[in-house]
Amino acid sequence: MRTSATSVKPARALPGQVYVVDKNPRAPWWLVVASVLVIVVVSVPLFYLVVRVLDVSPSGILDILARPRVLSLVFNTVGLAVAVTVTGVLGGTVIAAVLTRIRFRARGTWLLVSALPLAVPSYLASYGWLVLIPGLNGFVPSYALLTAVTVPYVILPVAAALRGTSADGEAVARTLGLGPIQAFWKVTWPQVRPAAIAGGLLVFLYTLSDFGLVAMLRYQTLTWGVHQAYAASFDRAHAAVLAMLLVVIAIAVVVAERSARGNVHRTTATHLPLEEVRWSFRWLALIAVATPPVVGVVIPLLGLGMRLAQAETLRAIDYSRLATATASTIGVALAAALLAVLVALPLAALAARYSRRWVGALESLGYVSNALPGIVVGLSLVFLSLALLPGLYQTVALLVFAYVVLFMPKALGTARSSIESVSPELISVARTLGASPFTAWRRVTLPLALPGLGIGALLVAITTMKELPATLLLRPIGFDTLATELWSKTVAAEFGAAAPYAAVLVLIAAIPAMILSGVRSVAKEEM
Amino acid sequence: MTTLTLEGVDLSYGSRVALKKVSLVVPSGSLVAILGPSGCGKTSLLMALAGLVPISSGSITVGSRELSSNHHRIPPEQRGIGWVPQAASLFPHLSVGENIGFGLPKGRRRTERVDELAHLVGLSGFTDRSPGQLSGGQAQRVALARALAPAPDVLLLDEPFGALDSVLRHSLARDVARILRESDATAILVTHDREEALDLADFVAVMDQGRIVQVGTPREVYESPATPWVASFVGDTVELGGIWRDEALNCVTCGAKEPGEPGVTRLGCSGHVECALGNVAATAQVGEPVDGEAVRVVVRPEWLVPATTGIPAVVKTVAYAGHDALVEFELPERGDLVRARIAAPFLPAVGQNFHLALRHPALVFPAPQPQPELA
Repeated sequence: MRTSATSVKPARALPGQVYVVDKNPRAPWWLVVASVLVIVVVSVPLFYLVVRVLDVSPSGILDILARPRVLSLVFNTVGLAVAVTVTGVLGGTVIAAVLTRIRFRARGTWLLVSALPLAVPSYLASYGWLVLIPGLNGFVPSYALLTAVTVPYVILPVAAALRGTSADGEAVARTLGLGPIQAFWKVTWPQVRPAAIAGGLLVFLYTLSDFGLVAMLRYQTLTWGVHQAYAASFDRAHAAVLAMLLVVIAIAVVVAERSARGNVHRTTATHLPLEEVRWSFRWLALIAVATPPVVGVVIPLLGLGMRLAQAETLRAIDYSRLATATASTIGVALAAALLAVLVALPLAALAARYSRRWVGALESLGYVSNALPGIVVGLSLVFLSLALLPGLYQTVALLVFAYVVLFMPKALGTARSSIESVSPELISVARTLGASPFTAWRRVTLPLALPGLGIGALLVAITTMKELPATLLLRPIGFDTLATELWSKTVAAEFGAAAPYAAVLVLIAAIPAMILSGVRSVAKEEM
Repeated sequence: MTTLTLEGVDLSYGSRVALKKVSLVVPSGSLVAILGPSGCGKTSLLMALAGLVPISSGSITVGSRELSSNHHRIPPEQRGIGWVPQAASLFPHLSVGENIGFGLPKGRRRTERVDELAHLVGLSGFTDRSPGQLSGGQAQRVALARALAPAPDVLLLDEPFGALDSVLRHSLARDVARILRESDATAILVTHDREEALDLADFVAVMDQGRIVQVGTPREVYESPATPWVASFVGDTVELGGIWRDEALNCVTCGAKEPGEPGVTRLGCSGHVECALGNVAATAQVGEPVDGEAVRVVVRPEWLVPATTGIPAVVKTVAYAGHDALVEFELPERGDLVRARIAAPFLPAVGQNFHLALRHPALVFPAPQPQPELA
C-alpha cells in the first residue's frame, strides 16, 4: 500500500523504497509486561526516597530546610551549577561555531580533541590539579574545572546542529546588509538554540550530581552534604531530605528545559564556505578550542604523570592492592554492563517497534535516572536494603544494581537505535522463509543489532568504572574500586599513593572512552 | 495442486479500508500480475497473502488448505508462501549463499540446493559474496533464489524491478518470468507498470481502490477492458461521444475485422456506433445499449490507421517517439480531436490533410454520468 498515507512508513535501514504496512501493530503482551517491570525496577530508588522523606514529619522537614547550613549548601550548589551552565553554553556555542565555520588545519581532529574532557572523570581532573597545586580549593577552581570538563556536552550537539542547519538564511542575511556575527545571531542561533539548551541541561545535571571534584576541592554542595550527613553523622532523615532537594532541583531544571527548548523546523542542510580569517583571529579561535581539553585533560594527566614518575611513588606501589582494586572495578563494570543491556532490551524493543503515545511515555520514564545524582540512588538503595532486605546491604549485588539503575539509560539509547535500524521488512522476509517470531529475532534482529548492543554495554562499563559517590555509599566493607582508592588517598592528601590508581583508571576507562568517541554511531554525550 | 484462491477478502487498517471483497483464482503454475496505481491495495493484498497482516473477512486458500479467514491466520512461517520484496531486503549480515539457504534446514542438502538456485538465477560464483557487493539486479536475483529455495507453493513478487533502471528492468523481468516458468512456480507479481504486466503475466488482475476491477489474459484486459478506467489505465485511449445502432455492420466493408489468434476470445461486433469517426463497428463492453442511445466510444490510438478511403482529418501535433509517433488529428466535421499512433518512417507533417480508418471494433460504454469517473 504505497500511497495510503496514513499507514505507510519508510523503514530507515535500507536505501530505496521500503514500506511497512500497518506501522502500528499491537505490541505483544509479554513485551509490555517486561518493559513495565523494567520501569518499576529502575524507579524503585526514587520512589523509596519519596517514601522515606514522607516518613519524616512535616515539621521535621521544615526544621532541616531552615538550617543555615542547608541554605548555604543549596546556594553553593545552584550558584555553581548556574555559573558552569551559563559559561558552558556560551563558550561551547562559540567553540562549536569556530569548529564548524572557520577554516583551519585538521578540523576533524580538533572536534575529537574538544570531546576529550568527557572521557576523564571530574575527580581525576581535580586530582591532577591538586598534585600540581595542593592548596587549590573553593568556588573558582571548582567552577573552572567543571566548566572545562562539561563544555563538550554543549560543543557536540551545537556543532552537530550547526552542520545540520541551512546556511542559506545566513547568506541571505549577509546580502541584506548584516555583518557575520549579526547574521549568525539573527538567523542561525535560533536554529541551534534547542541543541545549546539541551546541552546546557546536561551540564547542569552533571554539575548538580558531581561529588568527587567538589569534595576534593572542598567546595560544599548538596552532594557533599548528603555524603556528610549519611557517612559522617549518620543523620538519615537529614540525608534523605538533602537528597530529595537534589531531585527536586534536577526535576525542576528538566521541566524548565523542556519548556524553554522549543522546536525547530528543520531545513535541508546546506553549507556556507568556511570563513577565511586573519591569522591572529585564527590563533585566538584555536586557543578557545584548546582551553577546555588543556585544563580538563592535559594538565591533570601531566600532574598525574609527573607524580607517577617519581621514584618514591613507584617504590611505594602496593601491587596486590592495585590488582585487587582493578579486578573489582572491571568485575562490577562488566556485571553492570551485561545486566544493564539485558534490562534495557525489552523496553528498547518495545520503543523501537511500536510507536504509540504510551510507549513513548514508558520510554521516557526509562531515562528518568539520567537526571538522578549517583549519590541519591546510592542513598535510597541503602535505605531500601536496610528496610526490606537487610541481607543485601553492603553486597556487591546491590552495588551492581545501583549501577544498572544509574546507567541503564546509556544502554537503552543505543539498544533502541540498533534494533530500530533492523528493517521490519527483513523480519517479514524471514517469517515467510519459515522462521517463527523468536527464530527471526535470533537469526536476524539479534546479529544485526549486536554491535550496537555491544557499544551500549561498553558505555555502561566505562561509566561504571568511573562512578564514585554511589560506590562509596554501597560498597561492602573492604571492597575497593580504583575510583574509591583514588578518592580516599586524595582526601587524605596522599597524592603519591593515589597516583597508580588514577593511572590505571585512565588506562582502562578514559582511553576506551576516547576510542569510543571516535566511533561514529556513538553519541559522544553518552560518555 | 497449488491453486491459490481468494474469496471475498476484506482488509482494513483501523477505519481505513485497504481491500474490498477481493476474489481471485490463481491456477497452479501460472503467473498472475496484479496491476494497479499506487495505493490501490496491491501491497496490502500481498501482505495478506503472506500472512503478515490479518484479514477481516473472506478466505485465502492454497489447494485445499485454508491459510487465512476472519477467525484464524496461519503464521507466515507455516504458509508455504514465498516473498520477494520491493527492495530485495537481503540479510546484510549473511553471505549470498547464506541468504539463499536461510529458509532451508541445515545439512548437506542445503549446500546442494543453494548451488542449484544460485545457478538457476545465474549467480553461481557469487555465493561467498556479501550482499553489499551486489548490483541492484543481482540483489533481486538473490532475493528470488532465496524465496524459491524452500519450494513454496506460491511466490509473491512485490514490484521486484521497481528500483532498477529501465534497461536492466526489462532483461531481468524476462529472466525472472523464465525462471518462474522453469521452476513451475505459481506466482503473483505486483506492479504498476502496465507493459511489464502485459508482457510477463499469464493473467492480469487490474486493481483500483481496494477492488479487483477485471481479471483476464493480457489481450483481454487490453483489447476488451471492462470499464473506461481500465481501458485508460492499461493503455492510451481516444474517447468520443456516439450514438449506438443495434445492427452489426458488414465487417468487410468497415475494415474493422482482424482475425484473432486461435483460441483468443475476442468479442465480435455486436452493433455499430455513429461517431466522429463515421459509422464504425463496435462492441458493447457494459450492458446492452438500446438503439439510438447516446454512448461513450473508446478506441486505442494504434487502431486508427492511414487509409485513402478513410475519413478526412487534419494533423494538429506530432509527438515523435522514434519507432512511431502519436499524432493528434482534428476531424473537420465537428472539430473532435483524436490521437493515432502512426508507424515511422512515413510521418505526416503538422497541417497536412490525412485520411483515417478504424481497424478494430470500437469499445462502447454507457455515456458518462454527470460526475464522470476519475481516470
